[in-house]
Amino acid sequence: MKSWLVVAAAIVAACALPLFLAPSGYPIRVIALALLFAALGQAWNIVGGLANQISLGHAAFFGLGAYTSTLLLINFGVSPWVGMLAGATVGGFAAYILSFPTMKLSGHYFALATLAFSEVLRVLASSWASVTGGPAGLSVPFAPDSLLMLQFKSTLPYYYIILVALIAVTGIFVWIRQSALGYRLRALRESVDAAEVIGVDTARAKVIAAVISAALTAALGVLYAQFTYFFDPDSVFGVISISIRIALITILGGVGTAIGPIVGAFVIIPLEELANVLLSSRTAGLSQLFFGILLIAIILVQPRGILVLIKSGVNRARRGKTS
Amino acid sequence: MAFVQAVLDGLMIGGVYAAISIGLTLVFGVMGIVNFAQAEFLMLGMFIAYFVWAYLGLDPLIGSIVAFVIIFALGIVIQRTLIQRVMRAPAVAQIFLTVGLLIVIENLALLAFGSSFRSVSTSYQTSSLRLGPLFIGVPYLAAFCMAVLSGFALWLFMDKSWYGQAMRATAQNPLAARLMGINVERMQQLAFGLGVGLTAFGGAIILPYFTVNPTVAEQFVILMFTAVVLGGLGNIAGAVVGGLTVGIIQSVSALVFPIQLQNFVLFLAFIGVLALRPHGLIGASR
Repeated sequence: MKSWLVVAAAIVAACALPLFLAPSGYPIRVIALALLFAALGQAWNIVGGLANQISLGHAAFFGLGAYTSTLLLINFGVSPWVGMLAGATVGGFAAYILSFPTMKLSGHYFALATLAFSEVLRVLASSWASVTGGPAGLSVPFAPDSLLMLQFKSTLPYYYIILVALIAVTGIFVWIRQSALGYRLRALRESVDAAEVIGVDTARAKVIAAVISAALTAALGVLYAQFTYFFDPDSVFGVISISIRIALITILGGVGTAIGPIVGAFVIIPLEELANVLLSSRTAGLSQLFFGILLIAIILVQPRGILVLIKSGVNRARRGKTS
Repeated sequence: MAFVQAVLDGLMIGGVYAAISIGLTLVFGVMGIVNFAQAEFLMLGMFIAYFVWAYLGLDPLIGSIVAFVIIFALGIVIQRTLIQRVMRAPAVAQIFLTVGLLIVIENLALLAFGSSFRSVSTSYQTSSLRLGPLFIGVPYLAAFCMAVLSGFALWLFMDKSWYGQAMRATAQNPLAARLMGINVERMQQLAFGLGVGLTAFGGAIILPYFTVNPTVAEQFVILMFTAVVLGGLGNIAGAVVGGLTVGIIQSVSALVFPIQLQNFVLFLAFIGVLALRPHGLIGASR
């Protein structure tokens, strides 16, 4: 009961927050971006956290979503809301296809295969210029302040739409975690063989989780395209800018927990923006360098995330007081 | 004839891919870790050879030995200070440590060297040999010969020396190796140093016909992993076959497909092998 109160309070706070911010200012943009990446981390968490299948290729689905909806919009004037459905379908289908060759893979092999998959899509998006616009990227046709076309001049509506998306994806994650599928995924995380022996169809569980995760990631890719108005193959299919960032956010906050990606996103995204503002004007590469060092540091200090780190720190402090 | 020429070109570049990929497979074989940062050491090797050429006036083929020595030492330091700590950690920690390393090395290079492309000029750069109707570029041939030499040296080391045998023992069974009095940690340091050193060497020997900049590694990641997976992760002889195969696939597919789709063809081979023969085309199961 108490946890419901905390969640409700957090949602109310998130809804009220924009009242204190300029509706088109920089802070609200950063927070909206953090919310979007929290949702992406949550979607990654379904396979990365519950089944411990470490994907380094979620940019593949993110980019498929962005390209599917934007191409539908440019060529046929299809509303991005429909594009979101189409993008999610394409993303989910791609995950379904990819699951055939990667079904039996785990650990390093799975990470490699997913990484290669997203890289190939990036190369295809760059070289198939007649359809995708090639390396120059795509611009979303400007038709602002239309809910139907998911375009607004101010950042405020995006903030609320992305917030709803985050709540929805988090809800799906929590629901999967406590459903039979969640238990199956955790069983196969511990031991695929043991899970098979007790009658879990591990292949089926993996495919369902991968498809849901990919479809959600693709839908969020559509939101990203509408939010930024412009993207190119490197920005939506980027290994570091999308795939690794999503995974890092989840790992930093705590893999397999619902709060983890949210905490991670609200640490990483503002830190990155801060680093960009403070450093990038001087030299390229410095903010990425900081990102890499952070990744190595969190892995060496506490691979289970900062929440665990804080908790153990608090426990140590308490013990220190009582003894 | 175009086909034979393509196979020959593929073999020449494939020999270099083999040298590069041996480094990656050696690290996996001895430590059980896929080093996602491996291609960054290729970039470092290219830069070392470039600076040796620019400041000392030495040919990149000699610079490649300097590159090997420096990166070998750097590899041992990285293994001791960073990777050693996650040797017993879950796969996710190992994956993201080397991914973090990739990001750090690439961006340090960007800060230190800037993003411009650099290349060397040598006397033999544009010359080529004629074999009947076929041509071989001299820089390609020189790089191929250096790659073969390094492969032969590695084979001698692994097969004949005590360290090589101890390293292979560590790869087969770390616990048994430890019981036989082998310092497993030292062997892992040696393997990581050798592995990244060899890849840096492979980068240096292609410098006569390749430009270098801090993001050059991107072009090698997929082909390197494809070569290693084709041969079976951890299988050194396999990496040689895999490297040659990737070189030939790349060069022959360029006859049929536009150049941008080279990586796509490689990816199909990569995914196909992972799905059907995860232990490699030739290897016995590990």
